[in-house]
Amino acid sequence: MIRNRITDWALALVLPVLLLVAYDGWARTADDFFFPPLSEIGGTFADEWLFTRIPTDLLPSLVRMLAGFALAVLIGVALGTLLGFSRTLSTALDPVLQFLRALPPPALIPVSLLVFGAGDSAKVFLIALGAVWPVLLNTVDGVRGVDRTALDMARSYRVPAHARLTRLVLPAALPRIFAGARTALGIAIILMVVSELIGADNGVGYVVQLAQRGFDIPEMWAGTVLLGLLGFSANALFVAVERRVLHWHLAISGRATTGRASSAPRRRSRRTTPNPTEAAGARRP
Amino acid sequence: MLDVRDLTKTYDPAGTPAMADLTFTVGEREFVCIVGSSGCGKTTMLRCLSGLVAPTSGTVTLDGVPVDGPPKDMAFVFQDYSRSLLPWMTVAGNVGFPLPYKGLSKAQVAAATAEALAAVGLADRGDSYPWQLSGGMQQRVAIARALAYQPRILLMDEPFASVDAQTRADLEDLLLDIWRRYDITILFVTHDIDEAVYLAQRVLVLRRPAHVHEVVEIDLPAERDQLATKQLPRFGELRSHVLSSLRAPDPAVLPG
Ligand SMILES: Nc1ncnc2c1ncn2[C@@H]1O[C@H](COP(=O)(O)OP(=O)(O)OP(=O)(O)O)[C@@H](O)[C@H]1O
Ligand SMILES: [Mg+2]
Repeated sequence: MIRNRITDWALALVLPVLLLVAYDGWARTADDFFFPPLSEIGGTFADEWLFTRIPTDLLPSLVRMLAGFALAVLIGVALGTLLGFSRTLSTALDPVLQFLRALPPPALIPVSLLVFGAGDSAKVFLIALGAVWPVLLNTVDGVRGVDRTALDMARSYRVPAHARLTRLVLPAALPRIFAGARTALGIAIILMVVSELIGADNGVGYVVQLAQRGFDIPEMWAGTVLLGLLGFSANALFVAVERRVLHWHLAISGRATTGRASSAPRRRSRRTTPNPTEAAGARRP
Repeated sequence: MLDVRDLTKTYDPAGTPAMADLTFTVGEREFVCIVGSSGCGKTTMLRCLSGLVAPTSGTVTLDGVPVDGPPKDMAFVFQDYSRSLLPWMTVAGNVGFPLPYKGLSKAQVAAATAEALAAVGLADRGDSYPWQLSGGMQQRVAIARALAYQPRILLMDEPFASVDAQTRADLEDLLLDIWRRYDITILFVTHDIDEAVYLAQRVLVLRRPAHVHEVVEIDLPAERDQLATKQLPRFGELRSHVLSSLRAPDPAVLPG
């Protein structure tokens, strides 16, 4: 088991290492101004991002991204739960939601700059607006898919409505909510960068753009690498949290990888809602 | 204790009712089994009795109080027990889930949960998750949840339909044992005639649309045993009686 995990790790590292080595070898011989060797990018990375720019650019970026993401999850789950419960409400709101969802978030940058000014709120707004949809749509699906028998059970035991919501409906919808939130996280990172390209005076995206305009190529690459690492770690962190919170769901649906759930999954594909993927993003609420 | 009068339920106003003029009473501490063919409206009846759905007409009274929502002293074990267990809660969490809302303190919930799990022979599985247990064990968890709730009346909807014969026999004896030890009235729906005759003091034969076709008093010795009781000649007679009652042509639909 442990041996397996080590070999898995090694296997996963082979390709990235090969790619880096190949790039470095090529960049040294090609001597292209736009593609500096790894040592140069690495050096700049260490100089700039370890740790001088962390408080001035990385943290502001991260705070805005997390604020936008948190807002998206909060609004998505709250509104999604309401819409999941009430057909009337979802029919009434559907056209407006479809319209808002159809707007490409970057197109809203001018409007949000006018409304919120050039500060953080415009950027947080943009991130939240772009990231809310997968959470919202998945929550609606999740809430609608809650097992009727489970709801009847809670009602027959006179469990009050608020407890049915927090202890039954939301946990049952959680696999879908997580699937939506994971997509939302990716969108939030993209919009974090996009929002820093116009009307910003700090942030990772801002630094990368500034470096590109000033032909400071190693700096541009260092920022790009940082963004890649950021997305990678954010996703890894998310998966770790998901594995903890949804261990029961992963065990039932047979996706448990680490030794959390001790026994093999039994029975039931009935309750697990139809494979919670990002696909719901393509459906209407 | 439970009084059902002229209960009718029509799902589709254009079609035939699922339940028509169902009338019967159940006394304090009685064990009543209800048999009927698949689709004759047994689940519909239980859902009306438990206040989960409103009947189209007719009344249900429990201890003289009309039922218009889930009553306080009633527990319902569902036909599809595995879906009534919540997979994100441990076994103990599932059993204790309804109790805080009954006003029990944390310590009381823990005590009631432990006692109920011990009663169904799952004292050591409280920390497992339902999906880590076998079907029969899951069914026992659902029963433990009902016991921990300390109902005065227990409704059970074909609770043993999806477990193997041996587990089923064990669960039947467990239920009889619980019924004798606790002050509890049991209404048990099944389509298994042997099971009904073995468990009950009285068997109600339901015909479609759900109405009581016949009431069969089970005059077997109070002490039941899977082998001895089922070998009694009287057991065979009763089971044939119930079977023929289920199958007999309905006088209501006969011409003349
Ligand atoms: N929610 C519903 N909406 C419409 N029709 C329903 C509903 N529930 C049950 N019925 C219909 O009512 C009739 C009785 O169903 P019910 O589930 O009560 O039968 P049952 O006796 O419990 O059957 P089984 O032994 O298979 O569980 C069936 O014809 C069924 O199609
Ligand atoms: Mg049924």
